[in-house]
Amino acid sequence: MSAPDPAETTNGANGGIQAGRYYGRGIPYLPIDGYPGRLIAIEGTDGVGRSTQIQLLREWLEVKGYGVIETGWTRSPLMQPTIELAKASNTLNKLTFVLLYATDFADRLEKEIIPALKAGFVVLSDRYIFTALARAGVRGVDRSWLRSLYGFAIAPHMVFYLNIDVKTLIGRVLEARGMDFWESGMDLKTGDDIYDSFKSYQGKLLREYSSMSDEFHFRVIDARRPIEYIQEDLRRQVAAFLEPPDRPTAE
Amino acid sequence: MTFSLLHATDFADRLLYKIIPPLKAGMIVLADRYAYTAFARDATRGVDTQWLRELYSFAVRPDLSLYFRVPIDVSLDRLMARRVKLKFYEAGLDLGWSTNPVESFRLFQGKVLDEYDRIAKEYGLEVIDACGSITQQQRLVRSLVARHVGTNPAEVNLVGDEA
Repeated sequence: MSAPDPAETTNGANGGIQAGRYYGRGIPYLPIDGYPGRLIAIEGTDGVGRSTQIQLLREWLEVKGYGVIETGWTRSPLMQPTIELAKASNTLNKLTFVLLYATDFADRLEKEIIPALKAGFVVLSDRYIFTALARAGVRGVDRSWLRSLYGFAIAPHMVFYLNIDVKTLIGRVLEARGMDFWESGMDLKTGDDIYDSFKSYQGKLLREYSSMSDEFHFRVIDARRPIEYIQEDLRRQVAAFLEPPDRPTAE
Repeated sequence: MTFSLLHATDFADRLLYKIIPPLKAGMIVLADRYAYTAFARDATRGVDTQWLRELYSFAVRPDLSLYFRVPIDVSLDRLMARRVKLKFYEAGLDLGWSTNPVESFRLFQGKVLDEYDRIAKEYGLEVIDACGSITQQQRLVRSLVARHVGTNPAEVNLVGDEA
């Protein structure tokens, strides 16, 4: 990779020199340098409240006059039916699981994220590659292989990680909708009890997410607080990034 | 990228269900195309070559790889003689290099062949001149295979433990 130019470095508010660039080998036929859009990823485990926060953030950004698009895990038109089918058929193993998710992500990257960045949109990503890295890491897939696989991903300008503890998470998930087979890691066959499995699997996932915090410059948000507090925190940081103080804000 | 990743997913599925189990059982697995096809085809479509090699690092390295090499014209003549309709992706029509399927095939597969030559060198594939007669080719194939497997099945080396 060529050395990042200084302007881009100061724009990368997450302290990383690579914001808005490919993490690794990239996609040679799609150069993305200098695209005006901004990529903001909201990460966090299942049931932590990502969608609620993204919806609120989107409304707020649109009122401020930004063009916003949302993209979310397994939402690609190409792959969603295949992934649902494969999940239901019991033939998936950890490798094909990882590769199907990567294909879904590649499709959204090429068809949604990159065109939107080119057109100057703010892209809000409900989960990003970190969810894939965490899930696969917990399942024992080689971590350096995973990182080179996702070398075609773009480093977001900001990554918010909604952090929660397992106990609070269990309460929330049970109140909202109950525990689901995959979110409980039942495919790992640690036992028949969904509660125990959820607790141990989500515990491992949370540790996996935290272990990536420094590597990928997560902005950690305490997700145990009420919705409004979390949203306020997000808006403050997003505003500081999109509208630096030396420029008059729209407010 | 999605083209490349879908093929990798399919390959991973076949590797884990169709290739590794028979290898563990000590059987001989004949693979009609392998990861090298992806290296050549995807690189021609503009995917990063190093990324491809890392992506496929989960593949088992074959004990013997045969590359049947023909010039692009021979390949085209054979397909045309059978009056087959050239497939959209096989002809590289997705790349928009030419709207004429035959011309597009020549341009795309020509580059794929160049890529194969590089790969054959890099991975030490046994190159077989596929312009020769079928009998000639088969004799060569048999002599190459014979070096790796005993004529008596009991002499076949078990490779399962390392897979």
